[in-house]
Amino acid sequence: MRKDIIIVGLNHRSAPIEVRESVAFESSYIRDALGRLHEYPAIQEGVILSTCNRVEVVAAAGDCQTASKEISQFLDEQRAQKHPESLDRHVYVYQGPEAVRHLFRVAASLDSMVVGEPQILGQLKQYYDAAQRAGTVGAILHRLFHRSFSVAKRVRSETGIGSGAVSVSSIAVDLAKRIFDRFDDKTVMLIGAGKMSDLMARHLQSSGVSSMMVTNRTFERAVELAENVQGSPIRFEDFPRYLKMADLIIGCAGAPEVLIDAATVEQVLRERKQRTMFFIDIGDRRNFDPQINDLDNVYLYNIDDLKSVAEDNLHERASEADKAEEIVQDEVRSFVRWMGSLEQVPTITALRQRFEEIRQREVEKSLGAGLKDLSAQQRAAVDDLTTAMINKLLHGPLSQLKKQSTDDGDEPTLYVAALKRLFDLEDK
Amino acid sequence: MDAIFLKLTAFAYLIAAASFFLYLLRGETASRLPTALLLFGFVVHSLALVGRFFQEGFAGIAVMGHAMLFYGWLMIGIYLLIQLKYRLTILGGIIAPLAFLMTVSLFAVSRSADEIPPGLQSYWLPVHVTLAFLGNAVLALAFGVSLIYLLQERHLKHKKLTALMKRFPPLESLDRLNYILLVWGFPLMTLGIISGSLWAGIQWGNYWSWDPRLISSGLAWLLYGALLHARLTAGLRGKKAAILTMFGFCVVLGYFLWGEALFPSRHGGRFE
Repeated sequence: MRKDIIIVGLNHRSAPIEVRESVAFESSYIRDALGRLHEYPAIQEGVILSTCNRVEVVAAAGDCQTASKEISQFLDEQRAQKHPESLDRHVYVYQGPEAVRHLFRVAASLDSMVVGEPQILGQLKQYYDAAQRAGTVGAILHRLFHRSFSVAKRVRSETGIGSGAVSVSSIAVDLAKRIFDRFDDKTVMLIGAGKMSDLMARHLQSSGVSSMMVTNRTFERAVELAENVQGSPIRFEDFPRYLKMADLIIGCAGAPEVLIDAATVEQVLRERKQRTMFFIDIGDRRNFDPQINDLDNVYLYNIDDLKSVAEDNLHERASEADKAEEIVQDEVRSFVRWMGSLEQVPTITALRQRFEEIRQREVEKSLGAGLKDLSAQQRAAVDDLTTAMINKLLHGPLSQLKKQSTDDGDEPTLYVAALKRLFDLEDK
Repeated sequence: MDAIFLKLTAFAYLIAAASFFLYLLRGETASRLPTALLLFGFVVHSLALVGRFFQEGFAGIAVMGHAMLFYGWLMIGIYLLIQLKYRLTILGGIIAPLAFLMTVSLFAVSRSADEIPPGLQSYWLPVHVTLAFLGNAVLALAFGVSLIYLLQERHLKHKKLTALMKRFPPLESLDRLNYILLVWGFPLMTLGIISGSLWAGIQWGNYWSWDPRLISSGLAWLLYGALLHARLTAGLRGKKAAILTMFGFCVVLGYFLWGEALFPSRHGGRFE
């Protein structure tokens, strides 16, 4: 029986978040879910992907139509517990080369909401591992997933799809890395203790910043955030005095007025012997005097600057995505060829067997009738003669068939199907 | 024999320079190749120098028409040492074409080493020339680092973040490297001047003369000294320090390139 790959699922484009949520599989139940999936008769191999942007079932099946129905049913059962609306409108089905292409695109982060984001590959590996532990992965999905991982790596190394940060906080950290070469000896001052400050603090911490000061108009909130990020809280009226200790100053106080002006910074710079300062103004309202940027050894970026960097980076990613699509197309072709070659082996064996059977039958018939007077030596010669004929006859077509599977060109499965039909070969 | 080595050296530097530019255009993937090519050029360059040294002595590699050969060799050697520690591949993009031009310039001048006036043939010659060239080569690299600093600084100030910039090291590293080069370059330059002065004192009886070449070296020395002082005490750094470093090197280089025609010097070892 010929196995093919099928993907049924929904993603951020095909379904709204509440629908995706209703189908999502919690990671602790993934093993059970895989078990249930595997119980469907048409599904021979299966992997479940469930991230916030997509829920998909990747399967290998002999009968794809039945498998597609079974997977839809499987997803629908999951949905039924939480969401009233049917999934039909939101679900897509990919099969054969299209399915391979889809998975490669997902792995290469071409199908992501933010194209080029790197998390998806890790998630893919994680769900693949889960399926492998659950024993629902066979030769085909094994090869398919490993191939998709290397496609993702190839895309990442050969194109700039992952280059350039696109979120405000990661751009800020990116910029800081172009100014400072290390963070463990730097001090960060967060002015404002809102959600954005929290996010920035965590981003900076994961880049190695260990020393943080937090200030806020309401001191209690400064204390709270300082505790969360292991920094020290500072009273709002005191913060200018601590400015000279700060290398990176992040403003998101949401204050309607300018909190730090250029003259203050000039004074502070003298006190800290001109050591470089980086101001990031991420509030909607400007808290830092724009003229700060004109001072030597000081850099100021506000939210608009960061957003325009984000836009540039997104543009760059989009143009790199075209290159990535070509790589994916290339890889799909070679994978499909491999799938074809999988089928070839049994077909070739069956074809040889069929010819051999006919030969033996006919030789025996003749040796028993018209040729029964032949000596043992002559009988052996007849045997050799017929075997050689069969081999010569088969040599051409079989080497063509093998060549098809390594060349670009027509789908090799076409030839395999033709052979099966012409010689009435059955899979064994 | 050394002519073949020199041609090979020039060729290797040319290819290295081209691959540095490719590296800048394309990205990290080829980042090891340019350095490897440069290293290859350096090895051949060293062989050429050794060959020449045994044929013609120190004078054959470091003075008169051949100064560039020794100077370029020192520069590339120091760059390769920096590259070991700082991975500053982009600096190679500035150094490799320079090294190529220096090597090629040899083919333009007369092949045979000019005669050194017998009075100047002393043990002071290699000491003075080596120290002066070493200091100068280190400061040439400081010039390159400063240039990269200014480019990076400009991009960050004007908020134009190009892909090229990603291959630039952070400002902080560039400024620190610039400082380290100054800390090494300035004493070497000082020793170069002192050894020259002592030699002149022994040879001619006066330690200093108001020769144009000496004046330009003296000016540059004062400038680098002031820069080092300001860096250490007043916290001068960043853009201003980079500009001053470049300016100091221009004072030295400017005299070598153009000044000599206008104000002839009796100091030997011209670069042309």
